[in-house]
Amino acid sequence: MWLPILGLIVGIIIGLLTEIRIPAEYSNYLSIAVLAALDTLFGGIRANLQNIYDEKVFVSGFFFNIILAASLAFLGVHIGVDLYLAAVFAFGVRLFQNIAVIRRILLTKWASNKEKLEKS
Amino acid sequence: MDRLKSRLSFTLIAVILGFMLAIQFQTVKKPEERDTRDIWQLREALLKEKEIQANLIAEIRSNEEKLAAYESSREQSKEKTLRDTLQELKIEVGLTEITGAGITLVIEPVLEDPGIGSETKHTVPSELLRRLLNELNMYQAKYVSIDGQRIINTTVIREIQSETKIDGHSIKSLPIEVKVVVNDMEGAEKLYNNLQVSKSRDEFFIEGFRLNVLTPSPSITVPAYENPIRIRFMEPVKEGGGS
Repeated sequence: MWLPILGLIVGIIIGLLTEIRIPAEYSNYLSIAVLAALDTLFGGIRANLQNIYDEKVFVSGFFFNIILAASLAFLGVHIGVDLYLAAVFAFGVRLFQNIAVIRRILLTKWASNKEKLEKS
Repeated sequence: MDRLKSRLSFTLIAVILGFMLAIQFQTVKKPEERDTRDIWQLREALLKEKEIQANLIAEIRSNEEKLAAYESSREQSKEKTLRDTLQELKIEVGLTEITGAGITLVIEPVLEDPGIGSETKHTVPSELLRRLLNELNMYQAKYVSIDGQRIINTTVIREIQSETKIDGHSIKSLPIEVKVVVNDMEGAEKLYNNLQVSKSRDEFFIEGFRLNVLTPSPSITVPAYENPIRIRFMEPVKEGGGS
């Protein structure tokens, strides 16, 4: 449980230490990639909790979503439509849904644990 | 085993996500700290920067000066200066050929009506030439030659046994050419106009000569003075062992 959080912290530290800066015109792509990564991560957590987790789906989904989101934004820039908004919308909605599902699962688990404790 | 593997991939993804987040964070948050200096602090900072700028400008100037000094010391060494001065003096004295804007005068005898008892003239009286020279000098002539002889400050024009000599060169045949070079074309025009109405023309005519003034030309060549210049009454100033 703590290992992914540790990994997140390590990643942030590495990112801050390397002091890499992306040109301002590309920050759009990175933000959408971050959103896709977040969505995939929460999706993975949900799947894990629902016991339908598949490693291949998770890892491939992570990279595929990032690439798809970035290329969507790229296409949007070139045809003059803010297509990255579509990605933001889709990922945002899914993010909220996933987090809601995770919350419910955790709540039921907590409740059942409590019941077990009370019974015993 | 499966759990461990899944955790590993989760961790990996988390690391990548964190990395991306950090980069995005850094990219978006460019001004790292807000500028909270008040106007006096800003003025102080501005003053400091201006001082630095002034120092830099002074440094640049001194370097440029040095550069210019090196250049000039290389270009204008003593020898070059001496040569330049020598050349200048030569031009001033008349030892060089000069080409410039000017006019040509032609002196020829009047053949139509020789008059009674007069014979065809072979030489121009020296007095006439001297007066002509005076007049030319009055009208800002700078370099003059008569019959191919350069006129310089020490030139003598005199008559020896009714033969006019300019620095030893005798004028034997007419017509002769007088070449005059002035500063520029404008000066040449002016000289031309002045000579058209000058007294010299009348004086020449009285003596049986015609003074033809040709139109100004941008390139008149005055030859160099050929004879050696003898300096008899001049000697260099001796001041404190210097030059």
